[in-house]
Amino acid sequence: MTALLTIILSFIGALVCGLMPSSAHRRIRWVALAVAVAGLVVSMVCCVNYSEIEGGFNKDLINEQWIPSLKIHFIIGYDGISLPLLLVTGLVAVCGVLFSWTLESRANQFYAFYFALIGGVYGVFLSLDLFLLFVFYEIAVVPKYFLITIWGGARRQFAAMKLVLYSFGGSALVLLGMLAVFFLAHDPSGEALKTFNLLELQQGQVPAAAQQWIFPLIFVGFAIMAGMWPFHTWAPTGHVAAPTAASMLLAGVVMKLGAYGCLRVAVGLLPAGAQAWAPWVAVVALINIVYGALVALKQDDFKYVIGYSSVSHMGFVLLGIATLNLTGMTGAVLQMFSHGVIGALLFALVGTVIYTRTKTRMLDELHRLIDRMPGIAWVFIVAGLASMGLPGFSGFVSELYVLIGAWGTLSGWIVAGAGLGILATFGYTLVKIHEAFFRERKVPDAGQVETGYPEMTLPEKAGVIILLGASLLIGLCPWLLTDKISPSLKLLLERLPN
Amino acid sequence: MDYQQLLLALLPDLLVVVALFAALGVDYSRLRGSRLAKRYQMACRISAAGLIAGLAVLMLQIAGTMTVMESTADGQLVLTRGTLTLKALLYAMGLGVLPLAKRDQVTPQVSEYFALLLLATLGMGFVVSSRNLLGAFVALELVSLSLYAMTVLNQAKRASAEAALKYLTFGAVASGFLLFGLSYLYGATGQLDLTQMTDLQHSPLLVLAYLLIFVGLGFKLALAPFHLWAPDVYQNAPTPVAGWIGSGSKIAAAALLVAMLQPVFTSPELKAELIPALAALAVASMVVGNLGALRQTNLKRLLAYSAIANAGYLLVGVVAFSAAGNTSVIFYILVYSLASLGAFGVVAVLTDTLGRDAEISDFNGCWKTTPGLAMAFLVFVLSLAGIPPLAGFLGKFYLFFAAIGAAPEAAAWYDGFYWLVAFALIMSVVSLYYYLRVLRAFLVAPADDEVPVKTGWAAGITLCVLAIAVLALGLWPEPLLTLLRH
Repeated sequence: MTALLTIILSFIGALVCGLMPSSAHRRIRWVALAVAVAGLVVSMVCCVNYSEIEGGFNKDLINEQWIPSLKIHFIIGYDGISLPLLLVTGLVAVCGVLFSWTLESRANQFYAFYFALIGGVYGVFLSLDLFLLFVFYEIAVVPKYFLITIWGGARRQFAAMKLVLYSFGGSALVLLGMLAVFFLAHDPSGEALKTFNLLELQQGQVPAAAQQWIFPLIFVGFAIMAGMWPFHTWAPTGHVAAPTAASMLLAGVVMKLGAYGCLRVAVGLLPAGAQAWAPWVAVVALINIVYGALVALKQDDFKYVIGYSSVSHMGFVLLGIATLNLTGMTGAVLQMFSHGVIGALLFALVGTVIYTRTKTRMLDELHRLIDRMPGIAWVFIVAGLASMGLPGFSGFVSELYVLIGAWGTLSGWIVAGAGLGILATFGYTLVKIHEAFFRERKVPDAGQVETGYPEMTLPEKAGVIILLGASLLIGLCPWLLTDKISPSLKLLLERLPN
Repeated sequence: MDYQQLLLALLPDLLVVVALFAALGVDYSRLRGSRLAKRYQMACRISAAGLIAGLAVLMLQIAGTMTVMESTADGQLVLTRGTLTLKALLYAMGLGVLPLAKRDQVTPQVSEYFALLLLATLGMGFVVSSRNLLGAFVALELVSLSLYAMTVLNQAKRASAEAALKYLTFGAVASGFLLFGLSYLYGATGQLDLTQMTDLQHSPLLVLAYLLIFVGLGFKLALAPFHLWAPDVYQNAPTPVAGWIGSGSKIAAAALLVAMLQPVFTSPELKAELIPALAALAVASMVVGNLGALRQTNLKRLLAYSAIANAGYLLVGVVAFSAAGNTSVIFYILVYSLASLGAFGVVAVLTDTLGRDAEISDFNGCWKTTPGLAMAFLVFVLSLAGIPPLAGFLGKFYLFFAAIGAAPEAAAWYDGFYWLVAFALIMSVVSLYYYLRVLRAFLVAPADDEVPVKTGWAAGITLCVLAIAVLALGLWPEPLLTLLRH
């Protein structure tokens, strides 16, 4: 029951913010902060209340009939897989408000769309009915379009349209697969289930032959949103054109929607299909990791660098899913959390903290920022190293899990490739940090070069502390999450045929 | 036959007829020479009173407080809960058209305008509740003739006359095809009553009959390739009339199509022959509608192409040939019509204030000048596009659900309807491009000039009710679905 509050609060928040006059932007941002914090607190309460011993769903899940004519239920519940994602949604939502603190234009509509998106995201992570999950998944798409087209930067029309068409293309595949699952799934005695209820579908099974063609539909459909190569191109353009809070949400949680769908629906309901297709998924994941990192290395726009690094990091999530073993998949879920936090932080730093001061994101126009904004520069360097996988931060733990998992089941050259990907990650992180903060500008602009920039404002500091703190906490004490993730994944993996 | 019973059963229609004559009579006698605004107001009030009274009686009939006979001889009238619900919804939507018609005073022939509106509504009510070939045909012609006449009401606009002529000629030919088909159907079965046509034997004559019927009804539904009239008529008819063509007449035609196909359910050979034809119409309409809409700059034309595309989706539910398919088709056309009427309503309110021709760019900056209308338009267009949690999504989902459910165990990709559903899904993705382009004008673009727009309370309430209905049917469709299944 508590979990439902996250969704309700977000939608009420959207309504309240939308109805306030846009001139009251100072009041609106406090309302927005309150709503986002309330969501985070509820997620934390869920996390504390959840007993991880048996790894199933929470005890007080809501299970009601919704549309009996279509066998659709309203089931809201969570397990160890959803919990980290609820937390990361709450964290990013709060920080998104903090980093948009100075927003004035159409602030009421901004937060209306913002919270509609967040409500949809919470909904996806909490839905235990396929139809309901799909509904929330689509609810999350449309606000993104408006967030980007109204408040975005250069090429926003193109980027927003591309993002929406890719998203809906993906959901079209998912919908087809979902209907096939509905009609083909049967219980162990062979009787047709005809239900969208995930709890029941997990007890039954889909004929193995059908799984072979349904799995790619659902997996690819969801993975488009996770930034899977070759359907990743919406991600960098979308991230770059979006306003900071929206790109934080995109990188931090929306890409996780896709990965979560791959895990919960595609692998969870179609284990035989997953097993057959796992090698291909691994290959694509590897391409994501290496290609994303190499492209990031070639970018001149700071935001594009972060955009492609997201593609690369999401590759680790996909690789973790492809391992189909406990270690690797735990790593995948942990990586979703980790990249959610760090990706959002990097976008906030580049999109708001640095951009509002320098008015440019082109790396060759930045001149020795280390001297001119030392505090911000060091924060960015720490965040960059965290993203690179520095021990002590969450990224290190999750990527380690994924690689160990991959070593167990996937062929050696894939692991070797992923290792190369990590090297490329080191490369672009260090090179880009050098270019942005330590390099002399090629054509120095005499007037401005020597002036310093103001340090971070209070909301910005708070946001940085929250996100970096979360990454550090999980990096140092990963068992806080893995103890919850692993038992639930174990249940999911028990359904794999041997 | 008991005339008292018949009278009770037809009481809603009689009330509307009384209102129709009252509106004409008052306008011709007492209000002769009065100001146009006053005449519009009076005609609108009388018509509204008639429809509300009719609606009230229908409510009693649906609730079962007032029992009516289930059917009359030869299926002339079949008054089940399902048909009564459809009729009630048509009356309610007709009621919604009235304030819009009152706003844009396009013609000095005031009472004729409203009388024709009531006649069209009356005809639609009969179409959905008749299961008799002749009765349904006559009722459908009543609808069509009223709509032809209403299209040409704006005499100041030449394009309006051209569109009406096009509509009339195409419509007359289509009616000919339909009547031809009906006569073959009668010839092959010896029955006029659709409910009596059990176990049809497969014969070439029957196939031909149904193909001719598809042509006739395809015209009314604006299915490609019988859609050519639609863009011109939608663009040039008075906007409320276009809204009524795009909603009420679609419901009537779709309900008739479903009723006509009911006898085929028991004959697998006939089904197998008809499915390719229906599937081809579906694919053609989705392609023509969605690709055609991509390059439209006029909002009303764009909505016409969107109507063509939506008629294509509708057939995806028809090919299922199942009870679920029937319910899905009726549900879909209902929620489509609500959203389409709402969208036309917003366009009507905005264009007659601004005096423009509904180019998409005319609506720039509505979020600033008329936030309420922009919000309502967002709801209608997202429902047309099929975005949850709005009713349009559930409607589309139900169509696809029914189609896949008809033959879920497909051995090859062309077995069952997976391919058709996949095609419809791809086309829905395409459609998002133009729907979002329209929404961009309404919600994103800065305002060119800020002309104050007065919506008026009646039109405001209508649009508000429509928007709430679209949202509510998406969140809580079960009651309506239950009613429609009867």
